[in-house]
Amino acid sequence: MSVIYPIGGGKGGSGKSFITASLGVLLAKQGKKVVLVDLDLGGSNLHSFLGLKYTKTGLNEFLNKKFKKLDHVIASTAVPDLFVISSTNCSIECTNLFYLQKLKIISAIQRLSYDYILLDLGAGASFNTLDFFLTSNEGVFVTTPEPTSIENTFHFIKAVYFRKIKQILKQHDFNTIVREAVVSSKIGVIKWPSDIIDILVEHEPEKGKLLENRLTEYRFNIILNQFRKRSNVGLGNKIEKVCNKHFYSKFQFLGNVSYDERVHDSILFKKIYINTYPYTLTATDLQNVASKISENGRESLRHSSRM
Amino acid sequence: MKRFEDLNYYQILEIPVRASSFEIREAYRDALSIYNEDSLTTYSLFTDDERNKILKKIEEAFLTLIDENKRADYDSMLVSSGKVDATDLITKDRKKPIPLFPTNNSTNGAFFFKRVQKKIAGKDVNEISNEILSKELISGSELRRLRKAIGIKLEEVFEITRIALTILDSIENDHFESLPPIIYLKNFLKQYSEILQLDSKRIVEGYIKNIALRHDTL
Repeated sequence: MSVIYPIGGGKGGSGKSFITASLGVLLAKQGKKVVLVDLDLGGSNLHSFLGLKYTKTGLNEFLNKKFKKLDHVIASTAVPDLFVISSTNCSIECTNLFYLQKLKIISAIQRLSYDYILLDLGAGASFNTLDFFLTSNEGVFVTTPEPTSIENTFHFIKAVYFRKIKQILKQHDFNTIVREAVVSSKIGVIKWPSDIIDILVEHEPEKGKLLENRLTEYRFNIILNQFRKRSNVGLGNKIEKVCNKHFYSKFQFLGNVSYDERVHDSILFKKIYINTYPYTLTATDLQNVASKISENGRESLRHSSRM
Repeated sequence: MKRFEDLNYYQILEIPVRASSFEIREAYRDALSIYNEDSLTTYSLFTDDERNKILKKIEEAFLTLIDENKRADYDSMLVSSGKVDATDLITKDRKKPIPLFPTNNSTNGAFFFKRVQKKIAGKDVNEISNEILSKELISGSELRRLRKAIGIKLEEVFEITRIALTILDSIENDHFESLPPIIYLKNFLKQYSEILQLDSKRIVEGYIKNIALRHDTL
């Protein structure tokens, strides 16, 4: 069974694609079969981080039905065991996917058979991004230690959460109860997605409990990218602490990734950073994050086999 | 928001129920750094209203747990409501802050006093004592001779009397210029001679006379 990691985060430029590409390379080097999917439709540039100018096939060939299976549009990279599905050749309008197209992509991704599937998502919290993020039971946020980025991250977490709750509600068909409850509880605007749980627990304790349990299964991972010398060292752990206390899901801080000018250079020269500068602080940080992810993977596999 | 109100004070500060007062203080400081208005971590997560509620709760938790009596009440409340297992609350194991000067308490003085008394009981030093007491002028070197004959260390005298070692040293070596003012000196001499089981009145008298004489001759 493949482990799917959507990699998102509210703000643009926080390094989602860079992290996706680097983790992909590192996991592939561990001997895992990895595929990266560029789902930043309309702003796709994951291939550049992999040192590729373009790919022969990509998501577009799947969407326009040139190829029936997603497997057939996967392109290889310079790294053995690392593959990519690019969205560069998608039409300009594909930023706004049709609902059915989105479902088609999601179910095709879920059927891929790789050790790791990393989804590179776009900035913002549009429905497309959120739904791609919720493809898996686990997601990764990339944020930088700046107020703007953290603001957006919290917004993104809440949005994902809210979307997740809606998903669960739809599946269990108690949408109307919630709608009534929200209206009658005079809260008006829902600021905290989990307020819904509180309302539901009050009105229909059993269903509220179910929702709570489902949310507890969900895992968020946090990466602090572009970490500079003067950044607050404890920030990541503090975010993890606060989120665990105030949301129902589990949050894990995967680590800081140091800022490095040479990331910029490697993009300019279309080189893979982690291969060009493998002995830098940043590369070591990425290595640590990657090994944490593969540890988690083992854990969740063990967990699922037990069940 | 996950209901913060449902958490008990220990959960709010994220400390074990056996936490020491030091840990409580640390946890409180951490919590404030996370939830204060300018905190990079949370300023965008909560509205002012939510933040104030949380901060109030943290304050409440801290003030309760840091006060031994209030904490005991709170603990028994937790136990009786079934939230905490009584066996987790063995207060004996609770770490107390380590004193800055580990010997600075009365029990220690009593311990050394007993030890010194034992030493005196085991030695026959009446001869030296009587010799000292019979003298008109009493010098520090004689007091030292007696102390050494019994086998008491100067540090032990310090532990019992808390008179600084430098002062005890000056007394024994007759370094008059570095002695404290007479009013203190009298008291120090009294305590010192009581340890040596000498007539303190006689010692103070003889010692002061000795000083005065030396002063005159200078």
